Amino acid sequence: MKGLLREHPGVVLSPLSLVAIIVVWEIVARAGLVSPLVLPSPSRVWDGLVILFRADWFPQHVWLTTAETLIGFAIGGVAAIALGIVMVNLRIFKEIVYPYVVAFQVMPKVVLAPIFITWFGFGMESKVVMAIAISFFPVVINTVVGLESVPENEFLLMRSLVASKSQIFWKLAWPTALPSIFAGLKTSLTLALIGALVAEFVTAKEGLGTLITTFSFELKVYLVFAVIVVVSALGLLLYGIMEFLERKIVFWRHSRFTG
Amino acid sequence: MEASAGAIAVNGVSKVFPTGLEALRKVTIDINPGEFVSFVGPSGCGKSTLLKLIGGLLEPSRGEIAVGGRKVSGPRRDIGVMFQTSVLFPWRTVLQNVLLPIEVFGLERPSATEKARGILQLVGLGGREDAYPRELSGGMQQRAALSRVLITDPRIILMDEPFGALDEFTRERMNVELLRIWSERGQTIIFVTHSINEAVFLSDRIVVMDTSPGRVVAVLDVLLPRPRSIELMKSPSFARTAFEVREYLGVAR
Repeated sequence: MKGLLREHPGVVLSPLSLVAIIVVWEIVARAGLVSPLVLPSPSRVWDGLVILFRADWFPQHVWLTTAETLIGFAIGGVAAIALGIVMVNLRIFKEIVYPYVVAFQVMPKVVLAPIFITWFGFGMESKVVMAIAISFFPVVINTVVGLESVPENEFLLMRSLVASKSQIFWKLAWPTALPSIFAGLKTSLTLALIGALVAEFVTAKEGLGTLITTFSFELKVYLVFAVIVVVSALGLLLYGIMEFLERKIVFWRHSRFTG
Repeated sequence: MEASAGAIAVNGVSKVFPTGLEALRKVTIDINPGEFVSFVGPSGCGKSTLLKLIGGLLEPSRGEIAVGGRKVSGPRRDIGVMFQTSVLFPWRTVLQNVLLPIEVFGLERPSATEKARGILQLVGLGGREDAYPRELSGGMQQRAALSRVLITDPRIILMDEPFGALDEFTRERMNVELLRIWSERGQTIIFVTHSINEAVFLSDRIVVMDTSPGRVVAVLDVLLPRPRSIELMKSPSFARTAFEVREYLGVAR
């Protein structure tokens, strides 16, 4: 334990600090220093989590938000990679479109949520569209940057072999770009979850975002916190899956010695 | 295969880049099939540019280059190129890297795989076929890069400071092995370097170049006997040749 503390202080101290925060938080809440309507105690939040996971209506909310996130991410991601590829291969197209991509990237896309509700209704579609809109641009930009980062000598090697354009793309440019594309996808998946939740905040009948707004109105703050814990766990899980896929697919970026 | 297939004729070639930089002025050299020729000179003398022009990777501004009697109008598959960095693709194993040209050429894989294993054995990488490039040392990476050149049996090999990033000990070992492979196969090799000793040790002829504008200042015959071993570097004739190159480069002045 002492050795571990010396060599990897973060690994030991980071979880310990979390425990400390929860303990202090519990003491402060129990001493009545803060109203439970403002800040419920950790044990109260735990009660909330137990209530949620025992309720038969809860899984469908989790599932719906997850589905909106993943569908939006999948459509947005694939479309973004396709657009990136077209932009890199068609110079004139890129010159026309790229300024818009950058402009949209800078724009806070949450402002679109009310409009999407108007256009696509209160159901799942508007949330998916929001998830697409918010997850699309980082992937476009990372695809373009990645595809354009092929080093000079690698390119010359392929040219010296008289490789065709498509051979240069699939054997060189695409794998070169993959680490950058994955970095974009990782950001985008988290953003897609944000998009789905924000759209649910605006108007929805179901979903984790809806639960948060509903419980807030009902002043069940401990349940709001419990949902927040679930949302965070969902975000972590999705990010973890992407990390895992990245390590498998872009293996040469991580494993230094596999042999 | 025709005997003249490995011949290179550079005729009055100049290269001016769009930036206005005059990289080469009126270079004329004839290189015989099977000859080992080095281009030596300081940075910016245009030796790499000349190599790329011969390989069809750049176009001359004036003049003409012919390889095997045919005018160079772009890259060709009977010319192999090797760079200062190994340019191995990190997502491919050593064997897959060596087979890259075969894939690009659309040739048959099974027989090529056997051939690749043989070449890797020849360059001392037997048993490392399934390693990834980052698991190899710099010297081993260049051996893999050399294997990738050899797999297509090019008549001409263009080498752009291929051992320039290696430590001196590894570099000398690679030089000896390169000579061994070349003496067995007899390709025409053009070797760019800024190491005078390396050029003298390897070459039949040395093309000495200088800067602003990039140009050829002398072409020297290296009259040292073959086969050559590292001991040759102790000999007075080796020292004399190296000194001659230094004189042309202006180092001895």
